[in-house]
Amino acid sequence: MTSSKKTKETPQEPAGTSERGQDLSAKAFIISSIWWFVISTSVGLLLAIKFLWPEFMGNTPEFTFGRMRPLHVNGVLFGWLLAVDMGLLYYVIPRLCGNRLYSEKLGMFTVIAFNLVITAAVFTTLGGVTQGLEYAELPWFLDIGVTVVWVVFGINIFGTILTRKHEKMYVAIWYTMGAIVWTTFVYTAGNFGTELFTGVNQANLNWFYVHNAVGLIFTPLGVALAYYLIPKQTQAPLYSHKLSMIGFWTISFIYVWTGAHHMIHGPISQWLQTVAIIFSAMLIIPVWTVIVNFFGTVSGKWDLVRRDPILKYLMTGTTFYLLTCFQGPMQALRSVNAITSKTDWVVGHAHMAVFGAFSFFAVAGCLYAVPRMVKKPLYSQALANSAFWFMFSGGLIYFVLLWIGGFIQGLQWNDPSIPFIDTVKFMAPFWWSRLAGGTLIFTGAVLFLYNISRTFTYDPASATATGPTPTEGDTKPAKAAV
Amino acid sequence: MNLLKKTDHNAMYLFAGVLGMFLIGGVMTTIVPALTEKSWRQETKGTRPYTAAQKRGKAIYKREGCWYCHTQQVRTLEADRATTRSGWRGVKAPISTPGEYVRDKPHMLGTRRIGPDLARVGGKYDRSWHRTHFMNPRHLVPGSVMPPFPWLVKRDGGKEFEDLVEYIQTLGRTINWRPDNDYER
Repeated sequence: MTSSKKTKETPQEPAGTSERGQDLSAKAFIISSIWWFVISTSVGLLLAIKFLWPEFMGNTPEFTFGRMRPLHVNGVLFGWLLAVDMGLLYYVIPRLCGNRLYSEKLGMFTVIAFNLVITAAVFTTLGGVTQGLEYAELPWFLDIGVTVVWVVFGINIFGTILTRKHEKMYVAIWYTMGAIVWTTFVYTAGNFGTELFTGVNQANLNWFYVHNAVGLIFTPLGVALAYYLIPKQTQAPLYSHKLSMIGFWTISFIYVWTGAHHMIHGPISQWLQTVAIIFSAMLIIPVWTVIVNFFGTVSGKWDLVRRDPILKYLMTGTTFYLLTCFQGPMQALRSVNAITSKTDWVVGHAHMAVFGAFSFFAVAGCLYAVPRMVKKPLYSQALANSAFWFMFSGGLIYFVLLWIGGFIQGLQWNDPSIPFIDTVKFMAPFWWSRLAGGTLIFTGAVLFLYNISRTFTYDPASATATGPTPTEGDTKPAKAAV
Repeated sequence: MNLLKKTDHNAMYLFAGVLGMFLIGGVMTTIVPALTEKSWRQETKGTRPYTAAQKRGKAIYKREGCWYCHTQQVRTLEADRATTRSGWRGVKAPISTPGEYVRDKPHMLGTRRIGPDLARVGGKYDRSWHRTHFMNPRHLVPGSVMPPFPWLVKRDGGKEFEDLVEYIQTLGRTINWRPDNDYER
């Protein structure tokens, strides 16, 4: 252990040889999650069309807005993002620990069980079987399935960490462990704990879950991946260990207090609203430390970002993370909230967090990990670049136009002389832009799926490789840059 | 700082650290208010338990995802109370209070207002208005983006429609806020 102040750290990797069955669960989780990404995004696209033609697909109860919306939300959150994060961590954590995944069998169990749960969820959500709480729509028997998968995933990751060869744990490991611990509580509280309460108590617990699902599940998992990938892909040591400590310990203390900011001006005690607002503002600390750390790591190497799709995803993801976490504290302020709350502004904001930031980190992870696992270059760098530009431009159109439309609609709501229906009609051009942006995002997702699938299947002997071969140069020992 | 450095190397320290940090905020914002905020569990005077039909209606409201587009809260904003919003016929809507929600499980407060807020919609429109509106919202509100729900009205002789309207007519009625009992049936 050489943790002197002069030592710069890079994620460590073993020089081990590959074994049969290695990374099997990582591969399976990644490819299945990308399918859910495409499926859930297509559902989102259909929903966007419904805003323009409310009768579109409206002849059957199963395909009405109220049934398809939870399918889109649960599909992207769980089917795609949580699953791909789990798959990528099956790849990353063993490499940071200098060993193999604790159990590939348990790993495959989580892949199969989780995909069964999500498949069942398609039928329950469209069938109108719902708990009636946001992000917690899945019925109790599927909640149990998710919980079991998560606990087994946790055991697998903790098992890997406890048998690690490198004593010092890299930042990505802290965030992963944190996420596993927090998620267990947050998910249980949001899906089972809410059954014990009614009314405002239940609403408070519901939004405790909703907010921390993003803040203490997808944020730490996404940040863990970026902490691994950015130094790796730039071959630069992490900018600052101290900043990563401040970022990690402040987020673990601050985030959990903010759930009630979903009810500002609502029927909930003012003191709790104020507490949520104060802690929301304090979130600037953990976010900015992480951002400075990421940008600092890439500092001086920005020409790489121009050429490399993985770094493009990582650095735009970082920028979207910065923006989304600047919006968050601002939206929590009472004066701003009076305008933005309940409008499409929030929809733009949420998509920037889950898609723009954390999905971008995950896509970067797939582009990085899959070629290394199959020991072939990525099928097509050009395709990866165009997928990026589709997702990036589509995302930007989606976010920005909904902020503008939502903000103006919020101002209109605050003018009682404007009839409500006029504020709905006003949104039409912005909903058109959302459809346009969504179409670009969906196109990018399909290209991404095709690229990753072909990377698995193509024969390197007969194909002309367009990307750099993933070398085991990755396995060079850490602390290269002392 | 030394304590933090320990967590770099010891997984158990880290585990205890992240759990402890989380639990402080978690307990303070969910369990403490549940114990101390009596107003959150004390029903507003005049609250009646839902009838069987109203319960079925609320289940339909939940099943069809009405709550994704309609909030049920008059916030502490003047505009929310206006007669063009949750108010009606020259009367401003009273602000929603926690006591009005105690019997609601799941709560239907909502996060998005694609359509108007429904916290005080009970008694605003009569049954025949709702029937036409569910058949096709645009017959009554040109420019509406609400999907039509004709099967609620047609299936089983409109039993689900009847139940749903029973529930809708309770919304915001715990407080008798309109003079002369001026509510539609």
